[in-house]
Amino acid sequence: MKILSIVTKLSVLLAILLLLSLLGYAIFGNRVFLKFSPIVGQQAGDFTLELFNGEKMKLSDLRGKAVLLNFWASWCIPCRDEAPALDASWKKYRDKQAVFIGVNVWDDKDSALLYLKKFGGAYENGMDPKGEIAVEYGVGGVPETYFIDTSGKIVDKYTGPLTEEIIDYFLGKALSTNHGITKDGN
Amino acid sequence: MVIDLKMIRKINMFRKAFAFTTPAFIILALLTLNSIADNIDDQVRKISYLLMCPVCQGQTVAESNSELATQMRAIIKQKLEEGESKEEIIAYFVNRYGETILGAPPTKGANWLIWILPALALVFGGAGIAIFLHKSKSEKGKEKAKEMLNEPRVQAESKYLEKLDEELKEFES
Repeated sequence: MKILSIVTKLSVLLAILLLLSLLGYAIFGNRVFLKFSPIVGQQAGDFTLELFNGEKMKLSDLRGKAVLLNFWASWCIPCRDEAPALDASWKKYRDKQAVFIGVNVWDDKDSALLYLKKFGGAYENGMDPKGEIAVEYGVGGVPETYFIDTSGKIVDKYTGPLTEEIIDYFLGKALSTNHGITKDGN
Repeated sequence: MVIDLKMIRKINMFRKAFAFTTPAFIILALLTLNSIADNIDDQVRKISYLLMCPVCQGQTVAESNSELATQMRAIIKQKLEEGESKEEIIAYFVNRYGETILGAPPTKGANWLIWILPALALVFGGAGIAIFLHKSKSEKGKEKAKEMLNEPRVQAESKYLEKLDEELKEFES
């Protein structure tokens, strides 16, 4: 007795396999990837960040330099994983017209300072207590990093812990898009 | 000294009127301010229900207690106080987080499929079941059932079942 044809059986089997692979990806898949963000390709929203050393830093003052904007929190384990890469890359790029900015979000100041003491972050770091910068950039988790080119345009967004190679790739891209802007940003 | 009684009466009348109307005005002003505040909080709630919390699982900005959701609610309130409309505020969040931040997909482009497919599945699924039931009740279906019963494997099974029934009856008696 033939209840189901071979074609039907194969289609059911394929559908089950597809569902299982999707389920497997959802559970075990490496979720570190380039997330689509509507602000990539747009002009970076200006902000003034109050740094931990008490100084203030305005993004628009950095025009003419590539910016690596990293959102982090002291309780975030992947942030700790990427901290050595960020420090090493900052040392490599600080004389190459690139600025690293760390924005601490959803955190308290004492924990953030303790984190910086323990895991590094010698570059400019400050707090975003009201989450205004985070929401302006569409941050939906930490760590998230935005690469801004010399003209002030967001060229990439990276979700997940960075490595030196990833930073080289994206920062190289941000530095190479010159848009005819000189060193002074004019 | 001539006392102008008319004047005194007038002054007294003004005093009384002032005494009655001032608290009324104050109460009215307070109620108006309160209703404006209520209105803004109400609008914040309504807009927050339309947006999904980006760091939560299936919770809207209104429902979530996460720090990001709290900050988003504060930003919505600030924007409303600055005179921005509901549409402008929603567009602000969509421009930063994408359409995934919306609680319900907008009814445009391929998104229509999301709204139509469940209804279509229900209609076609229902029609499929109805056709199947109708066919199984028809003469053709009955004939097919008879054919199936006449198959050697089914007959062997029914003989085995009959024997099993007999033995069970014997065992019970």
